[in-house]
Amino acid sequence: MLTEALEDTPVNSGMQTDLPVIYIGMATCGLASGARGLLDLIKKEVEKRQLNVQIVPTGCIGMCHNEPLVDVKMPGKFRVSYKNVKPMTLTQIFESHFGKNDFAKKYAICQIPVEGSDPYEGLALMSDLPFFKGQVKIVTRRCGMIDPLSIEDYIAMDGYKALKKALTTMTPEEVVEQVTKSGLRGRGGGGFPTGLKWSLTQKSPGPEKYVVCNADEGDPGAFMDRSVLEGDPHAVLEGMIIAAYAVGGARKGYIYCRAEYPLAIRHLKKAIDDAKSRNFLGDKILGTDLSFDIEIKEGAGAYVCGEETALLASIMGERGMPWPKPPFPAQKGVWGKPSVINNVETLGNIGHIILNGGDWYASYGSEKTKGTKTFALTGSIKNSGLIEVPAGTPLREIIYSIGGGMVEKKIPFKAAQLGGPSGGCIPVDGLDTPVDFENVVAAGAIMGSGGIVVMDEAACIVDTAKFFLKFTQDESCGECTPCRVGSKIMLDILTRITEGKGQEGDLDELVRLSMYVKSNSLCGLGGAAPNPVLSTIRYFREEYEAHIRDKRCPGTVCNDLIKYVVIEEDCTTCGLCEPVCPSGSVTWEKGEVAHIDLTTCIRCKACVDACKFRAII
Amino acid sequence: MAEVKYAEVTYEDIEEICEEFSNREGAVVQILQKVQEKYGYVPADALEFVGEVLEIPKSKMYGVLTFYSQFYQEPRGKFVLKVCVGTACHVRGAGLLVDKIKEELHIEPGENTEDMLFTLEPVACLGSCALAPMAMVQGTAYGKLSADKMVSLIRQFEEEAEKEQEPV
Repeated sequence: MLTEALEDTPVNSGMQTDLPVIYIGMATCGLASGARGLLDLIKKEVEKRQLNVQIVPTGCIGMCHNEPLVDVKMPGKFRVSYKNVKPMTLTQIFESHFGKNDFAKKYAICQIPVEGSDPYEGLALMSDLPFFKGQVKIVTRRCGMIDPLSIEDYIAMDGYKALKKALTTMTPEEVVEQVTKSGLRGRGGGGFPTGLKWSLTQKSPGPEKYVVCNADEGDPGAFMDRSVLEGDPHAVLEGMIIAAYAVGGARKGYIYCRAEYPLAIRHLKKAIDDAKSRNFLGDKILGTDLSFDIEIKEGAGAYVCGEETALLASIMGERGMPWPKPPFPAQKGVWGKPSVINNVETLGNIGHIILNGGDWYASYGSEKTKGTKTFALTGSIKNSGLIEVPAGTPLREIIYSIGGGMVEKKIPFKAAQLGGPSGGCIPVDGLDTPVDFENVVAAGAIMGSGGIVVMDEAACIVDTAKFFLKFTQDESCGECTPCRVGSKIMLDILTRITEGKGQEGDLDELVRLSMYVKSNSLCGLGGAAPNPVLSTIRYFREEYEAHIRDKRCPGTVCNDLIKYVVIEEDCTTCGLCEPVCPSGSVTWEKGEVAHIDLTTCIRCKACVDACKFRAII
Repeated sequence: MAEVKYAEVTYEDIEEICEEFSNREGAVVQILQKVQEKYGYVPADALEFVGEVLEIPKSKMYGVLTFYSQFYQEPRGKFVLKVCVGTACHVRGAGLLVDKIKEELHIEPGENTEDMLFTLEPVACLGSCALAPMAMVQGTAYGKLSADKMVSLIRQFEEEAEKEQEPV
């Protein structure tokens, strides 16, 4: 079981040891790529060779496309990273390090500097890899580097130093001042200045206050918060404890985490227990007057609970429906008391800001969006994974330098979807958009919580818009009519268009409805639901029109509009397409151009995928 | 063919579950999660008993139960095939996986197979987008799936179930 995956693995610190250390990436991505079996093999190999080494499971370093990842750190040497490790390569890695006192050149991707140690010759540094070159790691600094289940590891990398500093040398007002100075804005997508939020909660009257961490990361295509929770859970706790102090002594905190993240919840539970045993949580924290405790609340499958007021309702055991603001949570939150709600990534930044100062954080980023932002880079891109870049980094750099470009070299970039169901698509012309709150909005999308899904020419824009609208329509809580009914009618129109039944005037009607739903919905979910439709109509009107007028889907995605044909000039008569057809609709004779019988074709796309010459469209 | 087995629930069982939550205020969702953990779904009787213990009206209990998509009012299959249909999986062909399961097991999303071995449950993002398309079964994540791999996974689970059935 995934939730028990780390049960019997050692939890000793890998940070301060003279022994050789073997690190293995065991976040969800690693586990799904077979890290569990690999760990068993490593243990066997260690036993066989009678080695005295430490095995340290780590979180996600961001190179999800290279999982499973195994690192080896020999005493006095830099740490070497190996990608896509298979049982066969493992033996060679062991042989190189423990037999020949070298590294396995064939499989290594890079080396990570370790203080007081020497580099290997002929191996790139991690910071020189294109994937890492443009990145600045603040909130993900420890992810993949430490054992997330070890509080010792966390402390060895400056953990809980900021808490000590805040509690013993700063007043709550000074803490808020530093956070304000840093320019940090809500990383869940709202972009509200965190310092202001804290100061509002601080000024709200009453002794009873709450700190809430929003870990209900629901946007499809986004996993930044999961990676931080799995890879560095203490950082989130530390941020919450500092918040509790800053808002004037909150006694209780909640982490609302979606149930789809079992490993994150497990790591958080362990982190809370360890923090309690060292008095970073509990009564009279570090001997001060602050007493603070944290409880985890698991979500139960409702996207709208990522909206802050809906989340509060859910914490209190109600249906997770939003309430109109004001009152804002800073005035009336959990149990009607002033509450500060911050997202995982926002809280993960706090420790670094307190430790290094607000000005230091503000030195990164663009004019209005300070600091860094994490993004989950996915879709038809070569290096998919988790990245952290200074706010304002151009989209082109993210996709081409860090992301390595398209996964299929021959199929060009079409659009990047930013901000999930509340966001929009940015086309080729917008590749130079600096990715920060303001510029992305101007381009018709939102930065959102940080999901970037890259689409190539084989994707259908109308289908994508329909996908997101279907998502919000499913997740609409039903409280207000514009969202509940408006999104349904819009979805009906889009469905009709993808089925080849689109009519003239459909686009105007979609835009009209969009504006109505946008301006009249109660909460952010409804208010942003039309964004994917509006942005795609803005940039890809012709593609909609092709569906409506020509009954044609240029991306060959919409099943009802697909008519597969073999392009005679491109067909090499290789016959690869014939055997893969499950319905026997492809006929081919040796030396002849293949033919597709559309009356029996089930549009499964198997022949298109099988054709290496793109001769079937 | 296995019959659908409904759980037998007593008031005392539920009282015991509620007992764990000292601060019962607001614990309704968590209590229902515990109930579901124990029975595999939330039996109608259990819902009523929880309401009685916490002194919450039936209507409100039902309201909470039906609001959250992860609560089930009917028993489910031994293997719940949670196929991710999030954005990244969608653009990498999650639809084909769902179609294959439908074809192979003759069930629609949300339904169980007659032998109560499988349930098909398309879910929104599981957060492992780099491994798209992916699925989660009994808490284990399976990445980079294809329709064929899905079929062999199903076969694997069937074998597993058969082995368990065999007398030792």
